[in-house]
Amino acid sequence: MIYSGHTLISFFGLFFHRMWLLITGQLPFEALVSDEIQILVLSCVAISGALVGTFLVLRRMTMLANALSHTILLGIVVTFLLFHTLSTPILLIAALVTGVVTTFLTEFLSKVIKLQEDASIGLIFSIFFALGIVLVSLFSRNGHVGTELVMGSADALVHADIKGVAAILGVNLALFFFLYHAFKITTFDPQLARTMGFSPLLLNYLLMVQTSATAIGGFRVVGVVMILAFFVIPPLAARLLTHNLVKLIWLSVAIAVSSVVIGVALSRHCLTCFGVGLSTGGLVVCVLGLIYGCVALTNRLSKTILAPS
Amino acid sequence: MNLIDYFTDPVLRGPTIGSMLMCMVAGLVGVLVFVRRRSLLGEALSHATYPGVTGAIVIAALFSIERALPFMILSGAALSAFAGYWLINVLERRLRVTADAALCAVLALFFGLGITIASFAQTSFSSYFRKIQAYLYGQAATMSDIHIVLYTALAVVVIGAIILFYKEILALAFDRAFATSLGLPMQGIRILFISLVILSVVISIRSVGVILMSAMFIAPATAARQFTNRLSRMFMLSGAFGALSGLVGILLSTRYALPTGPTIVLVAGTCAFYALLFAPDRGLVMRYMRAVRFRTLQREENLLKALWRLHQKGEQEFDHSLLRLRLRGWVTKVGAKYRLTPKGLVRGGQIVRLHRLWEVYLVSALGLGVERVHTSAEEMEHILTPELEQRLTKLLDDPKHDPHEQPIPSRAEVMRT
Repeated sequence: MIYSGHTLISFFGLFFHRMWLLITGQLPFEALVSDEIQILVLSCVAISGALVGTFLVLRRMTMLANALSHTILLGIVVTFLLFHTLSTPILLIAALVTGVVTTFLTEFLSKVIKLQEDASIGLIFSIFFALGIVLVSLFSRNGHVGTELVMGSADALVHADIKGVAAILGVNLALFFFLYHAFKITTFDPQLARTMGFSPLLLNYLLMVQTSATAIGGFRVVGVVMILAFFVIPPLAARLLTHNLVKLIWLSVAIAVSSVVIGVALSRHCLTCFGVGLSTGGLVVCVLGLIYGCVALTNRLSKTILAPS
Repeated sequence: MNLIDYFTDPVLRGPTIGSMLMCMVAGLVGVLVFVRRRSLLGEALSHATYPGVTGAIVIAALFSIERALPFMILSGAALSAFAGYWLINVLERRLRVTADAALCAVLALFFGLGITIASFAQTSFSSYFRKIQAYLYGQAATMSDIHIVLYTALAVVVIGAIILFYKEILALAFDRAFATSLGLPMQGIRILFISLVILSVVISIRSVGVILMSAMFIAPATAARQFTNRLSRMFMLSGAFGALSGLVGILLSTRYALPTGPTIVLVAGTCAFYALLFAPDRGLVMRYMRAVRFRTLQREENLLKALWRLHQKGEQEFDHSLLRLRLRGWVTKVGAKYRLTPKGLVRGGQIVRLHRLWEVYLVSALGLGVERVHTSAEEMEHILTPELEQRLTKLLDDPKHDPHEQPIPSRAEVMRT
């Protein structure tokens, strides 16, 4: 292993050197090692998450994202039972169906049956998730699957996983590039959007499908619960720093990617210096939390210092 | 193995009674959360207990204090849930984060921290790691008599608090302004509320697990709400649904070797969906069937009303009217059954078309309010001539629906001569 024995600082040195070699073509794609695969996969997930999450936070739809990150399990299980494969295109179809079904059922409960919105979301996702877990344990008879689903397993990643999450990132980037205007208007002024011919409802569904695609890309690495941190924390931290939408998106992406790199480096550092292997996904989420804490603190301090003048 | 064994067998009674107690408490507190419309608070707080649980187990492993473990886990979980609640408030109040994002942020961050600690335990104290795993999806099987005592005590505390502060809970749930004007200590009640929520989360994660805990807050309360409008009855029903889900869940999970927590949640969810669809008063299917029955009744009574009005003119007039309809060839009598003739069908459709066309005209061309056009149309439907109908159709661009969204019979169908 190239990275074994490296501490925090030397990890960064080696990582950026090898990435430079990769970009300039001196290092073949197949020569990437585990730590680099983790960083690349997590970065793709983190960028997708930050992009989608920015709009989720602004539209106050984060709880639906939480619901989706749970319901995709049922989507994946059913897909696997039907097609016996988990290739990327099939998974994307599963994401599409799960996103639409979850959103539709939640809306059905809250609009038609008139159950509180909170309760509708909670009821749907917990039942779906429970059903998913029961199906998994029925068909696999393996107690560890459930644990891995929520803990993620960054060590099991292979080269092909990079392509999968990169494809999802590509779709997300393309959608936000071409529909940026529509997303912006439906987020901030649904009335105006409607008169201009953009349907906020349609874009809600699209955003939900993107959320579930991103969650499906990421759940294997960080698990179904922690993927939520990738959606919520970067936009919240960026939100403290700017009020401009474009800057908000760039900052979220930057925060997300840097916490991924720091998280993976920390995981390696702990293994080198203390001999403990910590969950990479968990560490990345902790770093995200620390970054948010620092931003919030400096924000507060600068406010109290600058306020009197 | 029969049902009674589950309560008497020394191995089985721990999981069975323990799960029932836990789920009952969750059902009771779920009502509180439900009426305050904070259903997803349970989701955030249950995940927030996880670093406390894992932290307690790691500390116990470091100092090898096996005996105090259940109590350490309970207090660790409670502490970190309180920290989570505090952080939610800081995010919402100080940092102006929206409520949903604050819940999600705390949920994900605390869970991430918990997972990191868990992964530390996995490599360093692998024998304790199994205990940590049990709290993810719940594991009732290893509960013993000491757990029954512990959870009974905690359940008594929760029930006692609900009975003792019932009035305050009622006021807080439904009319906060009124409660404040009565001089009730709102801050104290809020602390009571959150303490009860955290207590019940801490009690129940052992059987349901942190991931699916929130379902036990939502599902029994949702089901109970469908059957009653009274808070006291809702508490009782929800507690009963919770206990029942705990029992049936344990039975199914031991019989078919399914994970405990998800099975309990599925049972509770099935209850909730059954109630949402089939509860006598509020169930969707029942509501729909009532609407259909009402529309049938309305139709019958409208016909009866028309006949009654005719009858008011005298019995002779009644017979003559029906006879005139038959003589005009609109109605015919085949055996004992009355039928509309083709001519009657056309003429009836014509009248309805003229009525609705006129309503459209009044609303769209003259700008009258939708609710004011019916009376005028009741007269005009008998006056309008085919020529006027033609001009109206042209002017209004042959509308398909009237202002009340009722279909207008098409021209081809009813206007042939």
